[in-house]
Amino acid sequence: MECRVLSIQSHVVRGYVGNKSATFPLQVLGFEVDSINSVQFSNHTGYTHWKGQVLTAEELNVLYEGIKLNNVNHYDYILTGYTRDTSFLETVVDIVQELKRLNPKLVYVCDPVMGDQGSMYVPENILPVYRDQVVAVADILTPNQFEAELLTGRTISTEKDALDVMELLHQMGPDTVVLTSTDLTSPHGDQFLVALGSQKMVRTDGSKSTQKIRIEMPKVDAVFVGTGDLFTAMLLAWSHHHPNDLKAACEKTVSVLHHVIKRTITYANEMAGPGKRPNPAQLELRMVQSKKDIEDPDIVVEATIL
Amino acid sequence: MECRVLSIQSHVVRGYVGNKSATFPLQVLGFEVDSINSVQFSNHTGYTHWKGQVLTAEELNVLYEGIKLNNVNHYDYILTGYTRDTSFLETVVDIVQELKRLNPKLVYVCDPVMGDQGSMYVPENILPVYRDQVVAVADILTPNQFEAELLTGRTISTEKDALDLLHQMGPDTVVLTSTDLTSPHGDQFLARIRIEMPKVDAVFVGTGDLFTAMLLAWSHHHPNDLKAACEKTVSVLHHVIKRTITYANEMAGPGKRPNPAQLELRMVQSKKDIEDPDIVVEATIL
Repeated sequence: MECRVLSIQSHVVRGYVGNKSATFPLQVLGFEVDSINSVQFSNHTGYTHWKGQVLTAEELNVLYEGIKLNNVNHYDYILTGYTRDTSFLETVVDIVQELKRLNPKLVYVCDPVMGDQGSMYVPENILPVYRDQVVAVADILTPNQFEAELLTGRTISTEKDALDVMELLHQMGPDTVVLTSTDLTSPHGDQFLVALGSQKMVRTDGSKSTQKIRIEMPKVDAVFVGTGDLFTAMLLAWSHHHPNDLKAACEKTVSVLHHVIKRTITYANEMAGPGKRPNPAQLELRMVQSKKDIEDPDIVVEATIL
Repeated sequence: MECRVLSIQSHVVRGYVGNKSATFPLQVLGFEVDSINSVQFSNHTGYTHWKGQVLTAEELNVLYEGIKLNNVNHYDYILTGYTRDTSFLETVVDIVQELKRLNPKLVYVCDPVMGDQGSMYVPENILPVYRDQVVAVADILTPNQFEAELLTGRTISTEKDALDLLHQMGPDTVVLTSTDLTSPHGDQFLARIRIEMPKVDAVFVGTGDLFTAMLLAWSHHHPNDLKAACEKTVSVLHHVIKRTITYANEMAGPGKRPNPAQLELRMVQSKKDIEDPDIVVEATIL
């Protein structure tokens, strides 16, 4: 398989978020990963302390320029996640557009990271850049419910609302939209997190269709960081292998997340000791230990076709 | 296996040198790798063009400070390679010393990258820092012949010369990763063992970084058996290089020499060889 991904995300010295979360799993699955580190921090910002440096939009341009001058600016996928700086994000859009001109089949997998549970954790002025520029060039979009609401200006209270919002997002750009988490109630009870997916396809006879799915994951009582980045990276990988089968791609993606999270929470609880809540260091994803699950995940969830 | 490595090396957006060359193979072998990127360049400097940014000694300190403030500055191994800046390298020495105080069993694997084939490709003032400060705290050292001569001030004409001197300067394990020496069996040897690799007619970049990382990994699994550690390490290099040159020649086309982009190591494609290398060389015990 000869497939090259350009991933523009954070780097942390210790732990698994951003490029640290996405790169190893993609490499293990045989993808070539070119990575531009948008920041270099000691660790993610959920720890008590964090320190490091950020890459400016200009520096991003310089790095891209190096790749371009060598005529190696040819990619099959681009992957982006958490970004705080509007000029940085606008530069990403320029790069995406140029790479798409060079390879019209390029797939831009975009996680429009802005916030969760009703509150933004990036500057507010990032929203218009995503809404008006980024989403238009995205092919696969992985917002959570809050981000989907921000991008479309709608609220989601029911599954129908969510499906309508995903349709609006399709019209804004991406043919594949996955609502990675919602507050919707699961038919199986409140121990389950509901995710939804929608993929527009063109059949061989030229007619259009949309596959819509619901997928549920058991909730885990802990705060994980980097799982969204892992999700998006694995969705890239598994939709590459199942390009017209969002159900299969999502089942594999969610299964990988399940195995990694389960291994992580088990380890974290051991490290913390009985009766104690694990700390962020202990809760870092057990990524290298999960290599086999990443390579060949046991499928532990079934998506429902809606 | 719960083993954490702090690797302070270059990052390239594209290709496999420095941390890009060392991290994936170590992770595939189950090591936790914390990586501080000393530079971020578009690609290695063997291409026609390269662009990017360097980390200052101060910025290195800041990153280490973050790790320290969270009380997670506990490592089993440190790994360093190509460095051009003397204050950066001196800061690395400070960090190594502090981490060794916190974990006296810490193993510092040091590739004293300075040059090859008789010429230096780093500023000359790096040499005294390696010679007078770094080597003293190294546990495993992987100089090539030229670097060993620079560090010891001796030309190497026999095997014992430089190796004994280097041991006295610090490291208990020294691997002369390549030499110009001829011997009945070829042209490479190591302290008390000699191991030979078929030459390949191409310039590879990142192979030294891969070598040092794999030597870390395999000497971890074979702590008192340099022969076994080197046989595995050299075997991994063999498989990766063979796969790389085959691919590069295909990409270049018949009769054409491959370019640097085509010669990037086929790292992810070599995962199985990294995990479980077929042993294709035998070291001779001297």
